[in-house]
Amino acid sequence: MFREVDFGEFKLTEYECFRMKEPAYALLAMPDTGLVGVIGASHLIKVLNLKEVGGMDSYVYLPPIAVISKKEIRLPIRIFASDNLLVVYSEFMPPPQAFPALSRVLLDYFERKGISHVLMASGLAVQNRFELSQLKTYYITTKLEVEEILKGAGAQPFENGFLVGPYALMLKEALRAEMPVTLVMTESFLEFPDPEASAKNLEALSKVIGVTVDVKELIERAEAIRMRARDAMKAAMPNLTRMRKEYEYSMPLNI
Amino acid sequence: MSTDEFERFWRKIREIEKKMLESFREEEEQILRELEEIRKALTPSWSYEGYLRPLYTMRDLGDEYILYIDLPNADQGSIDVKFKGNAILIRAKLKMQHRFSEWSGQGGETVFTEYRDVITLPFDIDPNYVSLRQRKGMIELRIKKPKQV
Repeated sequence: MFREVDFGEFKLTEYECFRMKEPAYALLAMPDTGLVGVIGASHLIKVLNLKEVGGMDSYVYLPPIAVISKKEIRLPIRIFASDNLLVVYSEFMPPPQAFPALSRVLLDYFERKGISHVLMASGLAVQNRFELSQLKTYYITTKLEVEEILKGAGAQPFENGFLVGPYALMLKEALRAEMPVTLVMTESFLEFPDPEASAKNLEALSKVIGVTVDVKELIERAEAIRMRARDAMKAAMPNLTRMRKEYEYSMPLNI
Repeated sequence: MSTDEFERFWRKIREIEKKMLESFREEEEQILRELEEIRKALTPSWSYEGYLRPLYTMRDLGDEYILYIDLPNADQGSIDVKFKGNAILIRAKLKMQHRFSEWSGQGGETVFTEYRDVITLPFDIDPNYVSLRQRKGMIELRIKKPKQV
C-alpha cells in the first residue's frame, strides 16, 4: 500500500504512486439503470488493460464487503487508471444517504489528481425496451466541445426530465465545484442488465475520451454478461426502488 | 332534512366510502408489492439443486399485468410456462450447463442446467387471457385481470 487518506467517513487507498497526464478524465461507474455504466466500465477496463491502482471504503456508509479479485483482497469501490483515464468502479450501490458525502469526496479526489473532466455512463429506462432494436443515446454536458463530439457520435441532448440516483447528485455537485461533467445515457431496461445498451453507450463515451473501443464482444456475449450480472442487478434494485427511480418516467410540469 | 337533501347526503357518504375502499385496496396492493420485493431480495438467485431463478419484473397496467422474465442463455424451445391458481411456474433449460466456479468461489461444483421459479400474482390467472412473446432471451407475459364483479 502506497498511501491511505481519510476523506470524512471514507478511506481512500492508493496501492502505488501514479500521476495523470493532461487532459485527464475520470469515469464513475456505479450500479444504476440496467447496470449500463458498470458493464461498460468493466469492458473498458478489460479492453484498455487498466491497472487497479487504489480503492475506497467506508465503515459508516458501506456494508462490510471485501472484494476478492485474482486472489487479492480489494476494497468495494475500486480505482483503475491509465495515463489519462481514471475509472472509479463499484458493483455495490451505497445507500442513498451516502451519495452526498461520496460525490464530494470523489470530486475532491479528482481535483487533487488533476482530472479535468468527469464522465458518467448510465441507462435511461424506457418502458418499451423489450420492443426496441435501435437504442437512442442522450447526453447532459457542461462542456461545449464535448457536445459537438457526442452529436457527431449520434447522441442527442437530454432536453427536459428528471434524473434520480448517484449520477444526478454527482451532476449537481460537479456543477457546484465548477468541474466539467458529462453524463451519457442510453435507452435500456431498468431492472435487467443491458449489455447492448452498454455497447451503444460506450461507442459514444469512448469518442469523448478519444480512444477506440471494440464493443463487438459486449454484443456477442450479451447473454453471458446478463447471466453473470444477475446478482448485481438484483442487489441494486431495492436501492433504486427506495430512491424513487420511477420519477424518471415523469414529465416535468414546468420546463 | 328533506328527502332530496337526505339522498344527496347518503350519495356523498357512499362516494366517500367508495374512495376509502379504493384507497385501502391500493395501500394493500402497495404493501403486498413491497413485501414481495423484500422476499425477492432475500431469496438467493440460485439453488444447489442446479437451477437459477430468473430476474423478472411486473407492471400493473390497470386491466392487465405485464411480466418480463430475463432468461439469458436459455434454450428458447425449452421454455415452459404453466399456470396454477395465481401462480406462474417457469422452467427453461440452459443451452449449456453452467458452473459458478468459472467466476467465483460460490456455488462449489454445482452444475446449473435450468431456470426455475414460481411467480405469484394477486389474482387467479385464466390461461385463456394470457399472451406470451419471446425476444432475445427474454419473455413477455401479458395477463388480463379477472373482470371485477
